[in-house]
Amino acid sequence: MSASVDVDLPDLASPRTQVLLALADDALISGHRSSHWTGVAPSLEEDLAFSTIAQDGINHADVWFQVLLGPPAGADTGDDLRAKVDALGLGREPHEYRHAVLCERPPRDFAFTLARHWTYEHFEALRLEALTDSSEPDVAAVAVKLRHEARYHLEHADHWLSRLSAGGSDDAAHQRFGEALAAAIPEALGLFESVDGEVEAIADGLLPIGHATLRPAWTAVIGPALREAGYGELVPDPDAAVPSVAAGGRHGRHSPDFTDDVWPEMTALYRAHPGARW
Amino acid sequence: MTPMSRLSDVHPPATVDPAGVPATVDPAGVPATVDPASVRAAVDAVPDPELPPVTIGMLGMVHHLDVAGGKVLVELLPTFSGCPATDMIERDVVQAAGSVVGVTQVVVRFRYDPPWTPERITAEGRERLREFGIAPPGGALVSAGVSTEGRSVLPLAVVDHDDPRPCPYCGSIDTQRDAPFGPTPCRDLRFCAACQQPFEAFKN
Repeated sequence: MSASVDVDLPDLASPRTQVLLALADDALISGHRSSHWTGVAPSLEEDLAFSTIAQDGINHADVWFQVLLGPPAGADTGDDLRAKVDALGLGREPHEYRHAVLCERPPRDFAFTLARHWTYEHFEALRLEALTDSSEPDVAAVAVKLRHEARYHLEHADHWLSRLSAGGSDDAAHQRFGEALAAAIPEALGLFESVDGEVEAIADGLLPIGHATLRPAWTAVIGPALREAGYGELVPDPDAAVPSVAAGGRHGRHSPDFTDDVWPEMTALYRAHPGARW
Repeated sequence: MTPMSRLSDVHPPATVDPAGVPATVDPAGVPATVDPASVRAAVDAVPDPELPPVTIGMLGMVHHLDVAGGKVLVELLPTFSGCPATDMIERDVVQAAGSVVGVTQVVVRFRYDPPWTPERITAEGRERLREFGIAPPGGALVSAGVSTEGRSVLPLAVVDHDDPRPCPYCGSIDTQRDAPFGPTPCRDLRFCAACQQPFEAFKN
């Protein structure tokens, strides 16, 4: 942890914390990347869409951080809790973040943004669905709420798959989106890496279905959709490995897209003005 | 879960003493007795900062209110988790409850269980939304309810095609949804073919 703000945080190495950090960090970093379209999206509707998706992602991270922190101590004020949430969201070193590398990739062009969005939202929908069975009531209740909101993201992502693929394989949009999917899908396999302590979190019931087990369920959803859209050759093999450049995010190994780009920008104000309130 | 589940502690408790509220004592120096109904009325009347004609009471956001001596605990249900207005609502609730005679401390907590659903909006709230140009959610939610295990279940399909919202201006149901994302997390964008007006709708 950065030593800039003195707050008392739970043990970041515990299985429970590692799982909740993976949930929060995926949402936080995806949210930051989505926000890059605010003001510059190809249409007003997409500007609103990605701005809302960004806002949802960052707030979903906020909620998971609050769950992670648990009930406030008797003497804690609202400001104390905000300070702890900020310390978790903005006060960690890059290697302490547990999101998949896919989430930190820059938006590139709108095709890649939509391809990453589509692979990620289908993963997140399945993970939230699994979490509604969590043995921890707070986790289950939050999953119900967030899943309800994320269905708009999923509808938006599916809409673009069908729209961009509608022209068939001779169409420029189909080809360009296919190239974007070919870049995003292999890296999306990194979403299914396990965090440290995941075995304990599964045994405990906190995480009812592990990340690795979600992968065949995800393939069963995206496979038929890809084939129907004319991208059958992009359906990942069950034993396909995560490309090394996109592996290790759940263990804190991140690419320069995070360590030299998202992280410094995201934490700049927090590091420059420790304890700032906004 | 019970109203005092741990989830109620997820959000920062605003243990803020209402600013500018003098300790309320009667001339004999005895603390005034707090009337819970007055506190409830004051909290219910807090306007939604983004939809000023509608109060948080009309939106059904007030889940539970407890008065013990001069201390008030208010549990609120956020409409959408990403609602940026929650901090303002929290501050306004502290101020509103704190202005009731005898209240010395107000604690506000947000909780996610039970989840807020549009059915919680009162009839008056729906009418105020419509007057403000926002189509209120209509009808019952097809798949919402409680699972056999007792967990809350929310509808998971975005059912707008089966949910033509009456135009808030002319009442026609010849309307369509233009975009699933609007100016706030809880609203989408629609268009009325009858009166050619764009309008917003509160999401299901």
